[in-house]
Amino acid sequence: MPSVNELLQRFRSKDRLALSRLLTLAANNDQTTAIRHAIAGQPAKGRVVAFTGSGGVGKSSLIGRLIGLLRGRGKSIAVLACDPQSSVTGGALLGDRLRMSGNEGDAGVFIRSVAAAGGHQAIAENLELMIRLLSVFGFELVLLETVGAGQGDTAVRSLADVLVLLLQPETGDELQWEKAGLLEVADVVVVHKSDLPGAAKVETQVRSQLNMPGFRKIPVLAATALNGEGLEALWEAVERVG
Amino acid sequence: MTKPKRIVLAKIGLDGHDRGIKVVARGLRDAGFHVIYAGLWQSPEAVVQAVADEDADWLGISMLSGAHMTQVPQVMDLLRTSGLDHVGVIVGGIIPEADADALRKLGVARVFGPGTPMNEIADFLRQGTSRAQR
Repeated sequence: MPSVNELLQRFRSKDRLALSRLLTLAANNDQTTAIRHAIAGQPAKGRVVAFTGSGGVGKSSLIGRLIGLLRGRGKSIAVLACDPQSSVTGGALLGDRLRMSGNEGDAGVFIRSVAAAGGHQAIAENLELMIRLLSVFGFELVLLETVGAGQGDTAVRSLADVLVLLLQPETGDELQWEKAGLLEVADVVVVHKSDLPGAAKVETQVRSQLNMPGFRKIPVLAATALNGEGLEALWEAVERVG
Repeated sequence: MTKPKRIVLAKIGLDGHDRGIKVVARGLRDAGFHVIYAGLWQSPEAVVQAVADEDADWLGISMLSGAHMTQVPQVMDLLRTSGLDHVGVIVGGIIPEADADALRKLGVARVFGPGTPMNEIADFLRQGTSRAQR
């Protein structure tokens, strides 16, 4: 087991396995002070785009599709994908990278699955340190996926430059879109699975409710990972944010 | 407190039988492991990249297609050339005993056949040592 100093040295010379092990230490809350100290003040150009929404809404599949689109534009991409950790056994089934396949051999893509304990608002402990490690390592984009979260789990906001909220057809009537929580802090709203019946109705409802005169305007778009429709427009909307 | 062990579970090649590996994924989850489920139709390269990026302690490969003597040696080679000698490998599925011996000679830590009780796998992963520690 290499020491943290050795790992940090290898990390500085762009050793991917050292990055991977440092992420493990961060996730395990192990030697984080030394890691934080070592990368403090280091240049980090990574832009953090977070994706949240309920379990099964298609966050992983959408990210999987986006990786293809953005690699085509030459961006290097790291993904941190959170799935829940059992409060009973401490175990976890991390099934997000399954939806993001086809990038083997591409040094410009790094995908890491992270177990998130309950009570942390759908994000894992020390996620901000993990983001920072990936960004200092040189990834231009860090795509962050929360545990399935629908309404109130807003902690991800403080980690992301851009926060994308995914909704899907048949998720409620128009009163849903008046509620406080994630809708208040999202930068872009996507009605995902736009190939399914009812998607256009939700899109219209959400757009009209969120963008009522006198309130903050936020883009509402339809997209589907099934065939990639709407993804280019989604990424344009993400790039227009801040 | 000991940190949960991370294991990547994957099927390699065209084999579409994933019931067994899903049962193992669930069982290991319930035994306290962090299971990264990479799923069906993976290439040896994709599996080894997953092991590297996930910093897995173990890799579990399920093979029911008969291609284990082609695919598993490729995985073992790639792990070695990628600096991942410390990762333990277990194989499950339909593996004839003679082939299981050959796989163990290549560095596979253990081969589990049909009917293996879940706690046997979990206990092995908890107590068994991966290759570099042996």
